[in-house]
Amino acid sequence: MTIEHGSPAATTKVEAGEAPAAPVELTGVSRWYGNVVAVNEVSFRLEPGVTGLLGPNGAGKSTLLHLIAGLLAPSAGSVTIAGRPAFGDPNVYREIGLVPEREAVYPFLTGREFVEANAKLQGLPDPGSAAKRAIATFELTEAQDRPLAGYSKGMRQRAKVAAAFVHDPRILLLDEPFNGMDPRQRIHTMAFLRKLAEEGRTILFSSHILEEVERVADRVLVVIAGRLAASGDFHAIRRLMTDRPHTFTVRSSNDRRLATQLLGDPFVTGVTLDDGLLVARAADYGAFSRAVAARAREADVTLYEVLPTDESLESVFSYLVRG
Amino acid sequence: MNAVIARITLRQLLSRRRTLLLLALSAVVVLVAILRRVSPAGADAKFTADLLSNLGIATLMPLVALIFGTGAIGAELEEGTAVYILAKPISRWVVVATKLVVAIGCSVTLTSIPILIAGLLAGGDARLAIAFAVASAIGSALYCAIFVALSLVTSRAFIWGLGYVLVWEGFLAGLFTGTRTLSVREHTLAFTQALANPAPDVFKADLDITTAIVVAGVVGVFAVVLALRRLSRIEIAGEVV
Repeated sequence: MTIEHGSPAATTKVEAGEAPAAPVELTGVSRWYGNVVAVNEVSFRLEPGVTGLLGPNGAGKSTLLHLIAGLLAPSAGSVTIAGRPAFGDPNVYREIGLVPEREAVYPFLTGREFVEANAKLQGLPDPGSAAKRAIATFELTEAQDRPLAGYSKGMRQRAKVAAAFVHDPRILLLDEPFNGMDPRQRIHTMAFLRKLAEEGRTILFSSHILEEVERVADRVLVVIAGRLAASGDFHAIRRLMTDRPHTFTVRSSNDRRLATQLLGDPFVTGVTLDDGLLVARAADYGAFSRAVAARAREADVTLYEVLPTDESLESVFSYLVRG
Repeated sequence: MNAVIARITLRQLLSRRRTLLLLALSAVVVLVAILRRVSPAGADAKFTADLLSNLGIATLMPLVALIFGTGAIGAELEEGTAVYILAKPISRWVVVATKLVVAIGCSVTLTSIPILIAGLLAGGDARLAIAFAVASAIGSALYCAIFVALSLVTSRAFIWGLGYVLVWEGFLAGLFTGTRTLSVREHTLAFTQALANPAPDVFKADLDITTAIVVAGVVGVFAVVLALRRLSRIEIAGEVV
């Protein structure tokens, strides 16, 4: 994969020359509901390893996952699983394990019954053993005979992952899989996904939390407003996100003197004084945060407030789109 | 048929609180029959026919089938659990067939058995009671096919189904011959008459048996084919947009 950063239309390139039938391949995929475009001309291919599908809520991550899982037909373009169209062929589910975002499970089934039912529906020769293995992997053995209705959100999430993994699929699609899990379960599941990837499986999971993706994914697809804004190596994209300009508002006892002092720092790209408020732009978030107090001390200025103006995930993403 | 889907559907349909209400409704038919039997008036074939056609066929049968028929697939789609069945290497035809058979099984159990028991307890004509029970099983199957298909056409299947039962069957079907031919209730009564051949003063259906067989057959096949087509192309959206 190559890193693409810039206008959305130019962000969906992938390197040419890979094997013809990638585990998952999307070519010019769009999906709309009436006049709402949920996914807009997205192309990428997934190879074995963990790929994070990152984007703010409502960006189209779940729609993309459901398109890959064959639960939605693309309005335009094609989605293939190992070279076969994903939609309309139940046999693709031998290759796919899906963890949907929706919490709904059969509340009357116990954890074991639920996972075993999934194993049976997959037509496994020994569903009991497969279920037992999956349940043990996700540490549900103790709770396996309790109805799912009584499970916590995190336990239910683990039961869903166990059910998706029970037939040992080559492709695992997980929609916000860490929702509701406690930190220990989260780390455990992340380690498990890494292990599966090392065994050669293709894993795609969606998240709106950067740190989750950072911990697990080798590669990342950034989706914003239905478009693929960036794709490629996670660390390179992370650098792009970190190196973007940051804006801070500062209130102090002497804004003018502090502004002059701050301009001496190489990572400060500009300052403005507006209506009694000092607005500073910095290329490095961390360096500015560390330096501002020192510069105030040097200038003999009292700091009242330092606020980053917009550090929401949406603003990080929109920076990537704007380029 | 798929045994796992059948078991899950069965537990899903029977675990609902409204199933208890349906059981109570079934019990009412039987209770009325018992009360009549022990009353000074005693057994009466005309009363039995009226009880089974009005309370059994016209009320109990459509309500039970409506709840089980729309719940078999529709409830799963609405709640989001359908993904666990549809994202599996199982033909959609097997899914539709299994869900339909389970819905029919539940409906027949809560409709035909109480009708048979009520008919036998009320007394009068055992053959008529058996005919009502058998015909109600056919009617339940037809209703279930329609309601399963309806639940794959609209997310408001219960409302539309209830409208059909109350407005079409309860009102319009009684007004015109044409509307009568498209009434499952009238089909069921025609089957009853053909099976029991009772005296005209005891019970008489308004629809002839040939029309009932042809229309019910066409409607049943159409409903099953429609359900299969809809489920084969059904989409499950990932998020609300």
